[in-house]
Amino acid sequence: MIKKIMVCACLIPFLAGVCAAEVWKAPDQEQARERAKETVPFVKEYKDDCQISRRICLMDAGISLDDVTTVYFLLDSPIIKDREDHYEPVRFAHKRHAALVDDCTQCHHYRPKDENALETTRCSACHQDSFNPEYPERIGLKAAYHQQCMECHQQEAKGPVDCTGCHLKHVPDHKELVKLPDNPDPIQVTKACLECHDTQGEDMLKTAHWLWRGPSPYTTGHRKDILHGKGTTALNNF
Amino acid sequence: MQITRRHFFRVMGVAGASVAVRPPAGHAWQSKAPPDPYGCLVDLTRCVGCRKCEEACAEVNCLPEPERVNCQCTIFEKDRRPDHDAYTVVNRYYTGKVDEFDKPVPTFAKVQCMHCQDPACVSACIVGALTKDETGTVRYDVTKCIGCRYCMVACPFEIPAYEYHDPITPKVMKCTFCYDRISKQGGVPGCATICPTEAITFGRRDTLLEVAKQRLKNNPARYLPHIYGEKEVGGTSWMYLSGVPFEQVNLPALPETPSPKLSETVQHSLFTYLWSPILLFGVLGGLMAWFNKNDNPPDKGGV
Repeated sequence: MIKKIMVCACLIPFLAGVCAAEVWKAPDQEQARERAKETVPFVKEYKDDCQISRRICLMDAGISLDDVTTVYFLLDSPIIKDREDHYEPVRFAHKRHAALVDDCTQCHHYRPKDENALETTRCSACHQDSFNPEYPERIGLKAAYHQQCMECHQQEAKGPVDCTGCHLKHVPDHKELVKLPDNPDPIQVTKACLECHDTQGEDMLKTAHWLWRGPSPYTTGHRKDILHGKGTTALNNF
Repeated sequence: MQITRRHFFRVMGVAGASVAVRPPAGHAWQSKAPPDPYGCLVDLTRCVGCRKCEEACAEVNCLPEPERVNCQCTIFEKDRRPDHDAYTVVNRYYTGKVDEFDKPVPTFAKVQCMHCQDPACVSACIVGALTKDETGTVRYDVTKCIGCRYCMVACPFEIPAYEYHDPITPKVMKCTFCYDRISKQGGVPGCATICPTEAITFGRRDTLLEVAKQRLKNNPARYLPHIYGEKEVGGTSWMYLSGVPFEQVNLPALPETPSPKLSETVQHSLFTYLWSPILLFGVLGGLMAWFNKNDNPPDKGGV
C-alpha cells in the first residue's frame, strides 16, 4: 500500500494542477520569469582579454562556484522576442552548468571595459539586437545563446543540440483536456495520461524507472526486499 | 551628277568599311552597381543545418511550407536547388572534414539568389523585368516579364526558376532579398531574422566585408582565406565564408569579371553609330552590284 502511495506521489503535483482552482506557482520560477523580462543598458565597450587572463581576473576577484546564487534562468528575453517569437523559452540550469564546466570564463568570456561593472555580466548586457550597424561584429543575443550552447554541447558530446532538447514544448492547459472523477485513484490517473501519451508509456517501460530491481531501503516493510520494482510488482500496469 | 543605284551602294559600302576600320567610339563598359547596397554574409562554419531559413522564407514570401520542416533525417540525402516552391534551400556536404574521433563533419550551405552587383540576368532581360535596386536587391517585375527565360540561362549561379506547371500566369521565381522588409527602416530578411546562430549576417555590403575580413583575421584556422562573392562575377550582395573549399559546397569558381561586361561590350561595340548594320548592308549592296555587273543580260528570246 505504501508503495502504491509512492507510485502516485509523483502524480500529485499534476493532479493539483488539474483540479485546484488556484494554481500554485513556484516562487523561484516566478523570480526567473521576472528576471527574464529585464533588460539592461547595452555595454558598448568590452575588455578584450584572453581566456587565461580572464580566469586570473576571476580568481583575483575571488569569484568561485560558491558565488553562483541563481540556480536557473529562463532565457526569455524581450530582445529576442522583439524580432520573432517561435519557440518557448529555454530553462537554463545555471548553477548546474557552472558546477559541471567548473570554469566561469567559458561563458563569461569578456567583461565590460568599465571597471565598476560586474566581473560576470549577464549575456544580454553585451549581446542584444542582431545586426546592429554600429557594432557589426557583435552577435545578437539569440545567436550568442545558440552558438555558445550548441558549440559546447557538440564539443563535449553532451547535452542536446536539437530545438526541443532545450526549448520547452508548448504545453496546452490540461484542465480542459483531462476529465477525471473527483478523488481519482492512481490507476484512473495513469489511464487518463496514457490515453494520449501512449508512446511515452511505451518508452517508460524501457527506462530504469520501470526496470529497476533492488532494495527499497526507505520503503517501510520492504526494506530488505530486493526483487521489487515496477516491472515485477506492477501496481498500475496497463 | 545623277546618283545611280549602283553608285549609291558603292559609296555606302566604302563608308561602312571606313567605320569598321576605325575602332568603335562607344564608351568603355561601366558597372551599374549601386554605391551602398545591403548584403548578407553567410558563414558556413556557423550553419547547423536546421533549415529554419527555409521555413521563414516560405512564410515571409507566401510559399508552400518546405518539405519535412522539423525533420532533418532524410532531407539532406538529395542535393536540392531553389525552385518555384522555394527561394532558398540548405544542402549538406561531406567534404572529408573529420572531427577528433575521425567522424565526418558535415558542412551545410544555403543556396539562394546572390544578388550580383552587376547581374547577368538583368543584362539579359530584354524587357527590363529584372532590375538592380539601390538596396542591392535584384527585383523582378512580373507585369513586364514575357517569359523568355533568358535570365535563367544567363545566371552564373543557375538560380531563377520558372513556374512550368502554371500555363496561364507563370512567373520567374527567385529570392526577393525580402525587398518589402529591407526597404523599410530596420528591416531584415526573413532568413536572417530567424537564423539561430547568426550564420546569416545582414548589413551594408561594405560593413559585411569588414566583418568578414575581421573574422578571417581573428580565426585563420577556422576559415579559408577567401570571401566568396567579394569579387566573383564583379561582386555579389550575398557573400560566403567557409572552412572547406567553396567548389565542394557547390559554389563554383567564377571569374572576377562581371558577366555582363563581355556581352554588353560586344553588343555596344557592334551597334555604336549603327556601324555594323550599315557595314552589313553596304557589303551586301556591293556584292549585289558586283553580281549584277557580271551577270549576262537576261535571255529574252526564249526557246
